[in-house]
Amino acid sequence: MPAGPAAKGSAIACRGLSKSFGKIEALHDLTLTVPSGVTFGLLGPNGAGKTTSLRLWLGLTAPTAGKAKVLGESIPPRAVLPRIGYMPQDLAIYLDLTVEENLACFGRLVGMDENAIDRRTAEVLKLVDIAERREDMASTLSGGMRRRTSLAAALLHDPDLLLLDEPTVGVDPELRAAFWTFFRELTGRGKTVVITTHYMEEAAKCDLVGLLHQGRLLARDTPVAVKEKTGAPNLDDAFLTLVRGRREAST
Amino acid sequence: MSGSGRRILAIARKSMGQFRHDRRTLGFVVGMPLLMVLVFGYTFGGEVHNVRTLVVNNDTGPLASYLLENITGDTLDLVSVTDVDAARADIVAGHAWALLAFPANFTSRLAGRNSTFIDVSLDGSSPPIVSAVLGKLRAAMEKSFAAGGRTTLSLNLDYVYGSPDTRFIDSFAPGVVALAVLMVTTVFSVIVLVREKSGGTLERLFATPLRPVELVVGHAFALALLALLQSTVVLAAALLLFQIQVVGNLGLAFGLLLLFAIGNQGLGMMLSAVARNELQAVQTIPLILFPSILLTGVFFPLEAIPGGLRVFSYLVPLTYASDGLRSIMLRGWGVGEIWVDLVVLLIYSALALLGAAVFVRRQA
Repeated sequence: MPAGPAAKGSAIACRGLSKSFGKIEALHDLTLTVPSGVTFGLLGPNGAGKTTSLRLWLGLTAPTAGKAKVLGESIPPRAVLPRIGYMPQDLAIYLDLTVEENLACFGRLVGMDENAIDRRTAEVLKLVDIAERREDMASTLSGGMRRRTSLAAALLHDPDLLLLDEPTVGVDPELRAAFWTFFRELTGRGKTVVITTHYMEEAAKCDLVGLLHQGRLLARDTPVAVKEKTGAPNLDDAFLTLVRGRREAST
Repeated sequence: MSGSGRRILAIARKSMGQFRHDRRTLGFVVGMPLLMVLVFGYTFGGEVHNVRTLVVNNDTGPLASYLLENITGDTLDLVSVTDVDAARADIVAGHAWALLAFPANFTSRLAGRNSTFIDVSLDGSSPPIVSAVLGKLRAAMEKSFAAGGRTTLSLNLDYVYGSPDTRFIDSFAPGVVALAVLMVTTVFSVIVLVREKSGGTLERLFATPLRPVELVVGHAFALALLALLQSTVVLAAALLLFQIQVVGNLGLAFGLLLLFAIGNQGLGMMLSAVARNELQAVQTIPLILFPSILLTGVFFPLEAIPGGLRVFSYLVPLTYASDGLRSIMLRGWGVGEIWVDLVVLLIYSALALLGAAVFVRRQA
């Protein structure tokens, strides 16, 4: 398993984690470990339980059953929230603030001082390639730029664990490639990056993937191992094979 | 049907469908006008009732009693007392609106066609109350003694608060100032959390160590600054443009308004946290404003609100804000006298902020 030199223990460890909304079971009995210092891709179609998993790990919603530890802290992981960067699927930035005001708000909430906020704002905005829009109102940004602002806000405090919900949707291929280079650089420094996506080709770039379908984990391994085990030429086919296998098993 | 007609109908059906799915809105559409008509109908009678009026009757003869018997209806609530000084102290303390004191020789002077008077002490901070007291008294004098001729009886007026120059606008300006603060604070705060929710930022905020109560108090703090700015504008306009009487401490008036504003923000945010969308949030605004305008003695005294409804008056925070502000501005009262208003507003603010935090936590 490829893990960075700084990888120690697990960033996320959950056992039997379940979440139901009324009669709908969004997540069923998820037992999963995400080691520190890797990029972990949580894959699956819409409604597979990817976002629910992230929300449970962040303590934004309480599990119906099961346990989880995030950065060593049981959920809700309040004590370690300043070490987590979260980019939700909704843009979740204030359109009536400027880009830098948005970043400053989230920076202050995780306890950064003004100097650090100022310095890191310049760094992360350069990284996501919107440094020149720093003082512009978020409402004047394109959809892709708003997404980058949201990512910048998640990166601002240099968190140990990044939880990114569909971070590359609406991002052009060139910038997407730059993001991945950056994610690699982060894991090289021992950071953990968890990305949800329904783009299988993107998932192939992850160190590890977890394949979710209808709230159940179908597989958790390296992308290469998943392909080998299913005998599929790519992750798309591997996923379909696993889904078929599960259907047959349940009937 | 033409293409255009079909398209118009399609939009209308879609719109009706949206309403149908939003039961709270539907309930509001039906319930709110009903409530408005009922409350308006009951409160806009305009007549005041049961104005607490103390009577010290030292008259050794029967004429003072005869006069008092001719004060009919329930406008004045006549309460017999014996001590003039204690009675006047009751007015100073705001426990009664007026005092009628009859001298010992009242009957003999009147019978001898000599001039005499009734000592009338008044809390003039509410002109409608003053008119009601004096109106009833003069009508009774007319009926008792003046049939067919001039009377030798006169009224010796003493304004404990206010003066004969106190205008209607003076009496309702403090309430209107408080009402203006209520409007702005409510409108802003009712929107604030529902916007956080729909924009996804609420969830993003709770992915940081931010606690619900911190979020609520933080918002209240920012909005309170807006409210303070607004109070300044409204108070300045009232003072400069309409020369409103102010005999009390303006600093205390500001403090009271700020406390009231913070409570309103808590209430607004509580409603905002419960609302599923902006439309539901906005609908709650008249729900707050309406009883506040009609039940709280802003435009007419609480004595004009029928007894059954007056119970609700004491449940509406603006009643206390308006009463406190009026007492500061027109009576010159300090913390020692308006402490009840301050305590109620303090409890209101604390409960509202706490309630907002609880509801926000449930949303997260």
